[in-house]
Amino acid sequence: MPDPHKKIQQLIASLEEERLHVGRKDLAIGRQRVNAQLYFSIANACLRGRVVLLYGGMGANKTTLINLLGSSFLSMDLDRVEDIMVTGHPEQTEEKIVGFLDPRQWTVTASATGPTQVLWTAWAASNWKLINEINRFPSGKQNLFLEILQKRKISYAGQLCRPGDTCYFATMNPEFSGTYPLDEALRDRISACVPATQPDFLAGLLLSERETDVRDLADQLPRFTSQEFSSLPGIVENKPLAGQVELAILCLIRDFTLCERAPFYDKTQLSQSKPSLGLCSGCHYQNNPEAICWQVDEGLSDRVRQDLRIFCRAFAYLLDRDADLEVLKAIAPYIIWHRTTPMRHALEKPPYFGAGKLAYVARLVENSINRTMNEREEMNRIFSRAVDKEMSTAKAIEELSLFDDPIARLDFIPALEDLP
Amino acid sequence: MKLSSLMDSAYLKKGPGRRLKTREGDMIFSLEDLADRVGNKPSRDAVKELIPEDRTQVDLLISTDPGKRYALIWGYLTSLAAERSTAPLVLPSRDYVGLELRRGTIILAEARDHVGEKMSGGRIVVQGKAGDYLGQEMQGGRIIARGCRDYAFRNMRDGFGVVLGDAGKFLGLGNSGGRIAVRGSCKERAGWLMRSGSLNVLGDAGEYLGLLMSGGRIRVKGIAGRRAGWRKKGGSIAAGGFGPEAAIDVIELE
Repeated sequence: MPDPHKKIQQLIASLEEERLHVGRKDLAIGRQRVNAQLYFSIANACLRGRVVLLYGGMGANKTTLINLLGSSFLSMDLDRVEDIMVTGHPEQTEEKIVGFLDPRQWTVTASATGPTQVLWTAWAASNWKLINEINRFPSGKQNLFLEILQKRKISYAGQLCRPGDTCYFATMNPEFSGTYPLDEALRDRISACVPATQPDFLAGLLLSERETDVRDLADQLPRFTSQEFSSLPGIVENKPLAGQVELAILCLIRDFTLCERAPFYDKTQLSQSKPSLGLCSGCHYQNNPEAICWQVDEGLSDRVRQDLRIFCRAFAYLLDRDADLEVLKAIAPYIIWHRTTPMRHALEKPPYFGAGKLAYVARLVENSINRTMNEREEMNRIFSRAVDKEMSTAKAIEELSLFDDPIARLDFIPALEDLP
Repeated sequence: MKLSSLMDSAYLKKGPGRRLKTREGDMIFSLEDLADRVGNKPSRDAVKELIPEDRTQVDLLISTDPGKRYALIWGYLTSLAAERSTAPLVLPSRDYVGLELRRGTIILAEARDHVGEKMSGGRIVVQGKAGDYLGQEMQGGRIIARGCRDYAFRNMRDGFGVVLGDAGKFLGLGNSGGRIAVRGSCKERAGWLMRSGSLNVLGDAGEYLGLLMSGGRIRVKGIAGRRAGWRKKGGSIAAGGFGPEAAIDVIELE
């Protein structure tokens, strides 16, 4: 079987050469610079059951890019791929999106006694699902996707549609008059959110020189066989993850989630009270720039851990490198920023000016990873030795109590106290 | 897998690294810088952790006008500066001077509100008159002032408060300890809800002296206004004379 990696590189080169995607190389991973919108979309095509959301203004090549990739990975015409997607608007219904009861089953006497017949839509049956303009679905209708996203089957009227492992994509505009806010639970199911920006000066020049229609150019993109497409998740899964990355991910999640004042020290338990509403007033960690807990309202769910691990592997595969800390530092902000709400007064200061949420979260991520690698070694080793019974629990608790760190105080010490 | 193996692979089998050095190395140039780090209503410990060791830098911070926004931070700075200083510290008249002071001496020509609030040690001398809430929630130390306005030594638990002139309303409200001495007179409701401690007034006291008090001792050498000891549940009141409707158990001094 030919190596799909080579074909992916050809696809990236073709998209750039044919000027089907001309975004800036805005994602730096070590010395390599790539376009985040393109690479996150391709990384998601290498995975199953993950959701990538492209976020940006009109005409930023969000929908077209996903359809072009669908055309290449599924080896289908662009027109056919475009027919598969669903687009958000207030009149969309479950019947139009997923499927509807076949009315013919009640006119034929013989089949009236059999199981209910459902006519599934092309979107439901496909394993390449694009939800276009997801924030144009009213809030109640967004709930439909809570059940569908990241699942391998869809149910309707007691019947099941099994498209198998699926690649999910979504696009959305910033808040306009016709959009609705995305529900927090739905945002948590979105693995990564990537800003899609307008072409810059040079890109605009390149696009104006493009004379051939997108549909014709799409035919020239490399085509993947179904065997190649289905082999990608397995290849990515085999990419080893460095121990540093595993540890940094665990600490990163806990840095965002732990809260001294939340039930079970878990910020995801909060509903009415949160840091922006004064929860942290007078707390020991408040206003300490090294502590992350008070800087964002929400904790992170375990889905974030899974997304961080699998996207690290996917990027390492795409860039043909190790899944190391450089990869994690680069991609983690895109996986976290849409799930969190930073403190308004901190975000409104320069250099963020209330608009640089992704950059703000990137700074938090960088701080957490640097702290784990440079300053948490001693406490992490004490905890691990106690867990592995290489030192007494009481002594470990005594030593850990000297560390002014939320993870040591709220996570390690209670865990050791619970050890038999 | 053993957790130690994960740590070994993460830290590449090196020895223990450096310890956490929280909040070290950042310069504080202004009260705004400090407020950015600790918030506008910080604890004393949070301010203490961040203020520079350099005396001139602390003096620079104290010399700036905190306005209402950074008044608490400024108050903590005055206390911390006084504690570090070997000589008495002379400060300008502003709110919250000597907030949570633990030792050292502060001298003020005039005083505004909340001076010596929550102090637990040291001395504050006000050469002129003080504003409201002088020595509120005091837990120790002593304050001497030429006079004061309302709510002086409110909720006092311990320490010694001396007013060389007259005091305003609600003197020693809700006290549960400490000693207050007033050389002049005090206005109404002195010793209201008092539970313990002592209040001595050389001049007269206003009406409702020791209202609802449940403990402690009040002595007024002059005349107490009407309804002294009104609905009192404990403690003792003695005065040179009483206005109408005084409680039955108040004692008239000879």
